[in-house]
Amino acid sequence: MQTLEEVLERYEAVIGLEVHTELTTLTTKMFCGCKLEFGAAPNTHTCPVCLGLPGALPVPNKAAIESIVLAGLATNCRIEKRSMFYRKNYMYPDMAKNFQTTQGPIAFCMGGHVDLEVDGPAAKERHGLAKAKAGEAFENVTVTEDGYRAHVGITRIHMEEDAGKMVHFGGEEGRIAGATHSLVDYNRAGTPLIELVTEPDLRTPEEARLFMQKLRQIYLTLGISDCSMEEGSLRCDGNVSLRRRGATELGTKTELKNINSFKSLHDGLLYEIRRQAQVLDEGGTIYQETRHWDPSAKRTIVMRVKETADDYRLFPEPDLAPYDLSDEFIERVRAKLPELPDAKARRFQEEFNLSAYDARHLVESTATAAFFEECMAQASSQKDGGKLAKPLANLIINDVTAWLNANPGQTLEGSPLTPGRAVELMGLVSAGTISSKQGKEVFAAVLEEDADPKAIVEARGMEQVSDTGAIEAVVDAVLAENPDKVEQYQGGKTGLIGFFVGQCMKQMQGKGNPQLINQLLEEKLS
Amino acid sequence: MTAAAPFGQMSIRQLQDGLQAKDFSCVEVASSVLDAIEAKDEELHAFLEVTADQAREAARALDARIAEGAFAEAGPLAGIPVAYKDNMNLLGTHTTCSSAMLENYVAPYTATCVQRTLDAGAIPIGKLNMDEFAFGSSTETSSFGPTLNPWDEERVPGGSSGGSAASVAAGLVPVTLGSDTGGSIRQPASFCGVVGVKPTYGAVSRYGVVAFGSSLDQVGPFARSVEDAALAMNALCGHDPLDCTSQPITTDFTANLDDGVKGMRVGTVPAFMEAQGLAAEVKARVEEAASKLEAAGAELVEVELPHAKAAISAYYVLGPCEAFSNLARFDSVRYGYCDPGHKDLGSQYEASRAKGFGPEARRRIMLGSYLLSAGVYEQYYYPAQQVRTLITEDYTRAFEKVDCLILPTAPRTAFKFGEIADPTEMYLSDMFTISINIAGNGGMNMPVGTGVDSGLPVGAQIVSPAFKDENMLRVAAELERIYGQAPVAPAFRAGE
Amino acid sequence: MAQHLTEADVRGIAEYTRIGMTEDEVAQMTVDLNSIIDTLDVIHEYDLDGVKPTFHPIGSLSNVMREDVEGTSFTQEESLSNAPKQQDGSFLIPAILSDGGDR
Repeated sequence: MQTLEEVLERYEAVIGLEVHTELTTLTTKMFCGCKLEFGAAPNTHTCPVCLGLPGALPVPNKAAIESIVLAGLATNCRIEKRSMFYRKNYMYPDMAKNFQTTQGPIAFCMGGHVDLEVDGPAAKERHGLAKAKAGEAFENVTVTEDGYRAHVGITRIHMEEDAGKMVHFGGEEGRIAGATHSLVDYNRAGTPLIELVTEPDLRTPEEARLFMQKLRQIYLTLGISDCSMEEGSLRCDGNVSLRRRGATELGTKTELKNINSFKSLHDGLLYEIRRQAQVLDEGGTIYQETRHWDPSAKRTIVMRVKETADDYRLFPEPDLAPYDLSDEFIERVRAKLPELPDAKARRFQEEFNLSAYDARHLVESTATAAFFEECMAQASSQKDGGKLAKPLANLIINDVTAWLNANPGQTLEGSPLTPGRAVELMGLVSAGTISSKQGKEVFAAVLEEDADPKAIVEARGMEQVSDTGAIEAVVDAVLAENPDKVEQYQGGKTGLIGFFVGQCMKQMQGKGNPQLINQLLEEKLS
Repeated sequence: MTAAAPFGQMSIRQLQDGLQAKDFSCVEVASSVLDAIEAKDEELHAFLEVTADQAREAARALDARIAEGAFAEAGPLAGIPVAYKDNMNLLGTHTTCSSAMLENYVAPYTATCVQRTLDAGAIPIGKLNMDEFAFGSSTETSSFGPTLNPWDEERVPGGSSGGSAASVAAGLVPVTLGSDTGGSIRQPASFCGVVGVKPTYGAVSRYGVVAFGSSLDQVGPFARSVEDAALAMNALCGHDPLDCTSQPITTDFTANLDDGVKGMRVGTVPAFMEAQGLAAEVKARVEEAASKLEAAGAELVEVELPHAKAAISAYYVLGPCEAFSNLARFDSVRYGYCDPGHKDLGSQYEASRAKGFGPEARRRIMLGSYLLSAGVYEQYYYPAQQVRTLITEDYTRAFEKVDCLILPTAPRTAFKFGEIADPTEMYLSDMFTISINIAGNGGMNMPVGTGVDSGLPVGAQIVSPAFKDENMLRVAAELERIYGQAPVAPAFRAGE
Repeated sequence: MAQHLTEADVRGIAEYTRIGMTEDEVAQMTVDLNSIIDTLDVIHEYDLDGVKPTFHPIGSLSNVMREDVEGTSFTQEESLSNAPKQQDGSFLIPAILSDGGDR
């Protein structure tokens, strides 16, 4: 198979996502008063309604409707005042009524968008970007200083209910294929679920991943879900098709189902794009089918071939009243909107004089954004505290993020690095007490020893500059200032080494490590 | 009041007077009613289950309250034996819907309508036979055998609430509940000569009543007197937070029963009276009832319902569509008939649903599934809902001119078992009742004597504007003064 | 009688509604359904242009919702009280797939 870059030279990958999110922060289910709780004993959070017993009737949870309106407002959707629930009829054992209560052609939220900022290596996947200049616009993107901004349309967000959970036995690794029997638990049945459908506006696996991450951050900020991909409260299906560059008609798409991590989303789409390109290059046909990404085998496998469009016999749910949301209802929800990541990034940029890049990456997680704000609150009481914004942003975006990635399970809140220590650390670096390289050592030590940066610097005698880089710069400067002495030294007057060391020490206020200075001078002068 | 009258043949007032005067106890009432059912229902087959334990327990509890002198607080139905159509859940008893699919199903919860009667002090006597899942007009589609018409055992009691009508007509219980999707309360009430009320859609909670056509189904009472029906309506109607379509009703339906009809405008629909298939003896009785109302002071006004003739077609689109979806849950997984020995779920599904559902249920499920399928939906389901708008508007316009309508309930008197085999012909049994379910307003059957040809009960249908069910009860009360109370069927009368 | 659906259509519907049928039953059902559908055409006799559908019979009804407050749930025993087959607190079903593939 060819690389993604090679494929995207000739083909355009068209990707759309369907994102299912359980409203886990609510107390009860969508249509009944059963408690939402992950991991309870099977069939203990059930009642006539969510077990689909004969005669039971649904009553919608108002808080769920507020949540979906909140999600719509946060993703620039139009809130449709008039909408209805529909019955989507198909028989499957995890669905107690054998129809899913969902929405019809008009959902609560229609026609929104999210702007995606893509930078760094992620931006390189996008075809045609290399030739474009900042400010230029093509397709759905605007090129920026460090990458591009993509406009991703949101078709709709509709309200529905989750199905129960099944465990399969007798097959391989609990898979449904080959299983001889299954157990059904309806605790999850009826969990409020919102489904967001994007326009086919995504063009690279990275865009798909970033979209999901951004959406997750928005939902977390709204507080409508815990968005746990592991526990399945955030799930994603990806549709992807290829078309020759310049073609306008969409190719046949395949659907990647049940993706349970951001990495799988990226890798699954990447594989699927390359696979489809190979099939097309060999003159083959792409079948409209559902495929499953197997992360261990690093390939997608067919789950089901769709020969015809499914006919779900959708019709308006007669047991539920239609909606005619009032302006007052919508405004009451709007008033609950917290500061969203994009707005927070803009504020960080303005308030703390940060670059767009720094601001954007700081708000990628609620924890880092909050940590940064707390740091700046503490720094503001110091003289020139505002100047620490950039170094603090760097510390958080680079070092803290790297540490969190390297230590799964760790959280920033639970780590020894308090905002006070971060401010103290960057204060030391910015005052030149320690070099930035030493700063990294102290950062590691703070996390390792749970101690204050100043105490670490003292204990390790770091006021004396032992940083090779810093010393090298001074050495270079001193040598550059004294070309005649250098010539004399190289002519054999080796006693001049003392002069050079003295000059370096003078420039470093006596804090330079003399051994290192000597060593470097000898290297440079030889 | 004849002291010898069996308790099941007494009115609510007679029973409560006796209970209050301590002439007899609730336990005596319950026991006597249970004995009468045992003696007389084996042949009639109105009951599918007799809830003797629940009845005796409720009766004992009521007696204890009455002994404390708290009769008034025991509820408006205190001490009244009530039985329920077998599509209504009563905790710990069977809810079979007369289907093999649910033969062994034991309800783990109680329907709101049942609970409201219990809260009003009713004694739960049992569960009543019906057409399977309420699909039918004769109770012949019951998987457990038909109920007989107490007036003539060779004839059907009507349906689908055949057991509810027959048990009241036979004097086994004073009040029963039924459900009406296209005429399933009114038509059997007509065939059995009793009062049967289908309240306005939304007046009574549907929670816990096994759904047939969710936008059409409504629960209502059967009784032998208008006052008993009105008292039952008082207990049944009102808002239920478990049913989104239920409405806050606080009407006292007994309040205007004695007001007479003077000054009321009663509508007649000439096109209905000329309808093909309306038996002459029914037409004659209904016309006679209308003129008697006029004589009693009502003003008769002719009105048109120009779209009503499309009601049956709209109904046989909407009903099956909703039923198809409502009956999808019977899949052998959580409850219901499970055909044994299948290695895969697909074959278990197919065998269980093939054997669990009778022919009419299978027909309606498949019809509904077809009508909702892609490309067909636009041809039938959608226009049927548009026709529904037109029919509703017809009624709205009619009720600008009149306070209620008087129509035939059924085109004829009770037919013989097996007499109607063609499903589409059977569907015509509801030709006068269906448009009212489509529009959602209230309608009731009132017995107006017997047919000159058949000698069987004939019913007039009184129809109210939406949420004005008191209008039809008031007119029915006048007819009751004219015709007398609905009699117990001759063969079941005390001493006969 | 018009041919609204064929036996093949009826077989397809039987498969979708999961009702097992013999060939004889399919033939009879095809006759029955076609004859019922014939009677439905009355709804096409009216001019329905611009007429709004009535999906919900109580016209004024809208926005019916409940507060997000926990109610009573069943115990596991109650949930499973009518289960044809059960195991370990769950409903037991035979193999979902008879031939590989997924829903």
